[in-house]
Amino acid sequence: MTQIKKSLPYIIAVVGAFIAAGIFIAAIQYNPFEAYKTLITTSFRTPNGFIQTLMKWVPLTLTALAFTVPLSSGKYNIGAEGQFLAGAIGATTVGILLADLPPALLIPLVIIAGIITGALWGLISAWLLYQFNINEILSTVLLNFISFQLVDYVATGPWRDPSAGAPTTIAIGQNGYLPMLIKNPPLSIGVILMILVAIGIYFYTNKTTSGYELVATGANPRAAKVHGIDTRKMFLLSMVIGAAAAGLAGAMEVSGVQHRLIEGIHSNFATLGLIIGLISRGKNQAVPFVAFFIAVLEVGASAMQRTMMIPSQVVLIVEALIVIFILLSDLIKRRQK
Amino acid sequence: MEQTTILQMHEVNKTFDKVKALDNVEFELKSNEILGLLGGNGAGKTTLMNVLYGLYKMDSGSIILNGKPITIPSPKDAIAHGIGMVHQHFLQINNYTVLDNIILGTSVSRPWTADRKKEKAAIEELCKRFGLEIDLDAYIETLPLGVRQKVEILKALYRGVNILILDEPTTNLIPQEVDALFETLKIMVKEGLSIVFITHKLREVLHICDRISVLREGKNVVSLTRKDASDEMLVRAMVGEGMDLQKSVIFSESSKKIITTKRETVLQLENVSLVNSDKINVLSDISFEIGAGEILGIAGVAGNGQRDLAEVVMGIQTATSGTIKFMNEDITQSSTKENISRGFVYIPEDRLADGFLHKASVAYNLILGYHNLPPYSNKGIVNWKNVNAASREMIKKFTIKTTGPDDAGGNLSGGNIQRVMIARAFSQSSKLMVAHNPTRGLDIPSMDFVYKNIFEHAETGMATLLLSEDLDELLLISNRIAVMYRGKIVGILPREKFDKYAIGRMMSGYDQESK
Repeated sequence: MTQIKKSLPYIIAVVGAFIAAGIFIAAIQYNPFEAYKTLITTSFRTPNGFIQTLMKWVPLTLTALAFTVPLSSGKYNIGAEGQFLAGAIGATTVGILLADLPPALLIPLVIIAGIITGALWGLISAWLLYQFNINEILSTVLLNFISFQLVDYVATGPWRDPSAGAPTTIAIGQNGYLPMLIKNPPLSIGVILMILVAIGIYFYTNKTTSGYELVATGANPRAAKVHGIDTRKMFLLSMVIGAAAAGLAGAMEVSGVQHRLIEGIHSNFATLGLIIGLISRGKNQAVPFVAFFIAVLEVGASAMQRTMMIPSQVVLIVEALIVIFILLSDLIKRRQK
Repeated sequence: MEQTTILQMHEVNKTFDKVKALDNVEFELKSNEILGLLGGNGAGKTTLMNVLYGLYKMDSGSIILNGKPITIPSPKDAIAHGIGMVHQHFLQINNYTVLDNIILGTSVSRPWTADRKKEKAAIEELCKRFGLEIDLDAYIETLPLGVRQKVEILKALYRGVNILILDEPTTNLIPQEVDALFETLKIMVKEGLSIVFITHKLREVLHICDRISVLREGKNVVSLTRKDASDEMLVRAMVGEGMDLQKSVIFSESSKKIITTKRETVLQLENVSLVNSDKINVLSDISFEIGAGEILGIAGVAGNGQRDLAEVVMGIQTATSGTIKFMNEDITQSSTKENISRGFVYIPEDRLADGFLHKASVAYNLILGYHNLPPYSNKGIVNWKNVNAASREMIKKFTIKTTGPDDAGGNLSGGNIQRVMIARAFSQSSKLMVAHNPTRGLDIPSMDFVYKNIFEHAETGMATLLLSEDLDELLLISNRIAVMYRGKIVGILPREKFDKYAIGRMMSGYDQESK
């Protein structure tokens, strides 16, 4: 009973968002029922659709965790985009420079390079916060812009692939490609890595004393400090863990999907990650499930655009409305008290 | 003097969430009387008066003023009916003068100029009539709490009230100020006002009130005149049948086992000073020691550095100079975490900001600070089975009203949050307890329970640094009392030299300035 009562606001928010967006679809002269059928079923009708969904699921979960892990300690990491790109640059660099190493060495090196560069990119903001109390929202957002320029620099520099139209680097060494689970359509082992990371983060935040300190810090930093928790350290740690997750996503996008650094490789993963994090209300354990749902919508959206000519942005409207409705239900709950 | 009933409240009911705060309460006020509204925390005294003052809307019931039924939807209407209230926390503008604070929100005779001579004259007249000496041109922020309370009373008088409600007015006053307040109240009654005096302090009621009404758990227990009242029956009315008064710390003389023999020193402060981030000397040259099993009380008007003292001892702030020793070990630079592992426990004053995780579960709260220790965790892994078992035990032992360890902290009331902090502190076999206003917001049996626990732990050798604004509490359980004034210890009295008025004088800095 209480479980139903608890989940009721979510259900209303999701259904409400679909109804509201449905009215919008009808208003621009399309059939909302047909549109939603495509939106929801594309991921499950064909193997191709399902694998596409899984491939979206990986970066979406990781960039959402990049937002929710720091949020557990009460800090807002809006820089998953920059950390993702830093990870992608790190992975590409190692993949090109050490292209001749055997796979057993190169694959882990590429992935670890991505994790480390992503974490370092997050560490800049975390350190500014730790040392000078500089607002992490500002610093993470501003570092995103720097990362765009860095990608530009790497993709148009000496490693530029002259045959490509857009700024793109040459491919990393083949030995650095992530192994495939399925060859055609392609699905790398990235999905397994991502699941392991999500489980690891769940274990860390819910079962370890350090995770306890993280949650306590987020719940009331002053009380946590008074009871012996080094809250500034927890801020720093959570930002770096989140950034590392984003960096991993960037590395896997290079090593498992694109095999090179492309300008715009970050797609809209970080923005969707924020939305996923908000829909999950910052709960790390809810992130993979919400991310999967959003991945289904995203894959459905492109299909909808292809087959029915409905602009895929409609899905962004649905996603945004879900967030707004969930926040609204919080407000109503507070008012009732 | 002929006394007539001027105000009645009938069958007042008020429910918060699911808690019945007022249950068919009857209330009566006569002309020219001081009525003591007595009861422990959570008895519903303040709630009832907030209903009368228009701050809360009652679920059902009626209010009859001078024979006519009235409704009071807001404090503005209450004042229009001649009902005023002085709350525990004053609503004053710090950088305004006393005069400005008093006339704020009233209409003035010459609104287009800053000329307030007429108003000032009227207020000066009131001051003279009621024996309230105040400099009307002083700024609020420069005034001690006792004077600020007079401002609040003047505010009500200036608005022409004839019923004045005072909510725990003696809380932050030194004994001398309490006496002065009582004199004012007597004059006010002579001048034709009626006063409702909300308190949980028995002695005050017997001292000043003409009639006494006792509430308990939102219900009327008894109403009687002072002539008919006795200590014992009021105590019984306040605490109910469930409490064994003979075994209680508060009411029984025999159980006050205060150990006075000198034992080994646990905590020692030598010339500890602290300059805060605003470059203000908040602690200067503090020296004292506490022996094993000893309770050292720190008396002082709120805001004289008590909180900084507690935090310096706990390692939350680091002393600017001086040394702090624990069992002869220098711990001046120790972190809070290190101190906790040495066996320090802390009950902070500000439970909402410093003591409680609203957004986390009750279990999270009950192990805060001790989460690194067995049985709660082992090698960095939290043992939730043990945590939940221990939490359930604490919830039961300390009668915390909650659905269980997984309940959200935000669902707990103020008194229950205090119980969580108490439970957490007493769950450890500690060597030093720093307790700052540990019984604030607790009802009488719970207060007694806290004292018993302090004594029990003291018997095992725990030293206690008890910082409290409740002088009665300090006098009751301390072995020695140190008085703080403006960040200094102005004197330490052993138990045989305890004297309320002497301590009050030290608290007000009188001794300091006459030197």
